[in-house]
Amino acid sequence: MSSRISNRIGRPEPKTVGLYVALYGAALLFLTPYLYMLSTSLKTEEFAFSQQPYWIPPEVTFEWYQAVMQGVPILQWLINTLIIAGATTIIVVIIDSMIAFSLTKLDWPGKRIVFTVIIASFMVPIYANMVPLYTIISDFGLLNSPLAVILPFSAIPIGVFLFTQFFKDLPDSVIEAAKLDGFSTFQIYLRIVLPLMKPAIAALSLYTFVYTWNQFLWPLIVLQGEMSFTLPVGIVTTQPTQVFQPGAEMAVTLIAAAPLFIVFLILQEHLVNAVQMQGTTG
Amino acid sequence: MATKDTGSILSRLPRVEAVDSETRDGVLFALPYLLVFSVFLLYPLLKGLYMSLFDWNAFNPAQSEFILAENYVRMLGDPAFWAAVRATALFVVLTVPTLVGLGLALALGVNQDIKGKRFLRTVFFSPYVLTVSVVSLIWAEMYAPQYGPINYYLELIMSNPPAWLNSFTFAMPAVALATIWWTVGFNFVILLAARQGVSERLYEAARIDGASTWRAFKDITLPQMRPAIVFVTTVQLIASFQVFGQVFIMTNGGPGNSTQTLVMYLFRVAFRQQEFGYAAAIGYFLFVVLVGVSLINYKFVGGSD
Repeated sequence: MSSRISNRIGRPEPKTVGLYVALYGAALLFLTPYLYMLSTSLKTEEFAFSQQPYWIPPEVTFEWYQAVMQGVPILQWLINTLIIAGATTIIVVIIDSMIAFSLTKLDWPGKRIVFTVIIASFMVPIYANMVPLYTIISDFGLLNSPLAVILPFSAIPIGVFLFTQFFKDLPDSVIEAAKLDGFSTFQIYLRIVLPLMKPAIAALSLYTFVYTWNQFLWPLIVLQGEMSFTLPVGIVTTQPTQVFQPGAEMAVTLIAAAPLFIVFLILQEHLVNAVQMQGTTG
Repeated sequence: MATKDTGSILSRLPRVEAVDSETRDGVLFALPYLLVFSVFLLYPLLKGLYMSLFDWNAFNPAQSEFILAENYVRMLGDPAFWAAVRATALFVVLTVPTLVGLGLALALGVNQDIKGKRFLRTVFFSPYVLTVSVVSLIWAEMYAPQYGPINYYLELIMSNPPAWLNSFTFAMPAVALATIWWTVGFNFVILLAARQGVSERLYEAARIDGASTWRAFKDITLPQMRPAIVFVTTVQLIASFQVFGQVFIMTNGGPGNSTQTLVMYLFRVAFRQQEFGYAAAIGYFLFVVLVGVSLINYKFVGGSD
């Protein structure tokens, strides 16, 4: 549309060319770190340490992938990450949708105060709580357990906020009608509210999964044994080879990045929606 | 519990009973989240304030000594703390304006009538789904003075390129550049949605009035997108104040302590030196600063919403 404005002004051509050069040039720069990771992971030691960057390796080797599989418990880290991100997502969707339903569609004394406290706690960064939270997790005997990550991340209020925004728009008449049909509160939540809120649930699930999967600082603090690491913690605390090898580092990095990156390529519309939703409701 | 009598009174007053069951259900539905929230968010927040008033014994909390505000006094006189404040401020200055400006430029560019919108959006947004470890490991190798590609190309145009992560001057800008690559996509997609939400009628009207592209940008695009711009600026300020992973992995705070940011210093004090009380005080300070920055940003820059 704004290209129409430039048409009026009368010099659209160089502008359009400039736009293409700028955007596709930026895209090329954005892609180089990926290319570097991929090509280095396939290079022999000689070419990996070479001064000249061979973007396409003259000689392809898979030795670094082999070294990674033998050198570090990367499958265990993958499973740990999957358990932590999966469980957090399920818990967040269930408990956040329940309280959002209660706050928007049920009337009870004190709910305004509860809502205000939850929204105010938006500001609390997990880092400010780092030390006291560590002592609490430690007192519960949860260090090294996946629960040490799952429980604190289930307490983050962003999902409550998002769900209340969406549940508000659900007409009360739908719920009144269900009540007249003899539905219990639980049946209304399960059979009416949840099915109508599928898009919001999908967006929050994906967002929570990616967010939890990528966490670094908190898992680094509470997961201390090599077998309990998540991928983000494992790949930087444990070197896959005895001596530093750029190829092995990039192989382990690529393996760690691949699962979520594939999910992203398949579900990117939903993920983009989830991020944009924050911007428009925030 | 209820006798026959009260039962019959309640049945004669159906509204009271209805309110009661709704209250019961309301509380029951709120309870699971409130439990997790209270134990793992509210309680630590209060315990942190409490701990910050003690010379906390990490191994035997019962032997902690109450010292009132001494941790906070110590913080104000601690040169390492102030170095961390300066490093954090430098990182914020190096990242936030670029992240917002570049995000806006990419959003306005991709919003134009061009081919390959979807491809461009995928490319610019994709690094955001990577974990900080992946980003840091890739960039650390790209910055390597001996075999990294960045200095290979710089050597073609200059004789002595910087040692990046080993340089007092260039370590923080290097970390900032990697961060921009990593997170600009978040701002980009939010600002793109905001730009698409601006009514095209406004631009039509401006066109009829003969307004220039620059005028349309200044008088329509910027004011209309203001809430989204304020939102991403706030999110980036908060994120940049809390930077940890990038510096921890790429420089470990070095060279010297030149890239040791606040959260990293907090991490060291707590989990390397085991000074939990002092670390809790730093954590509280960080929290108050973040709340202050957000409020100022919304009050004076934000205006609406």
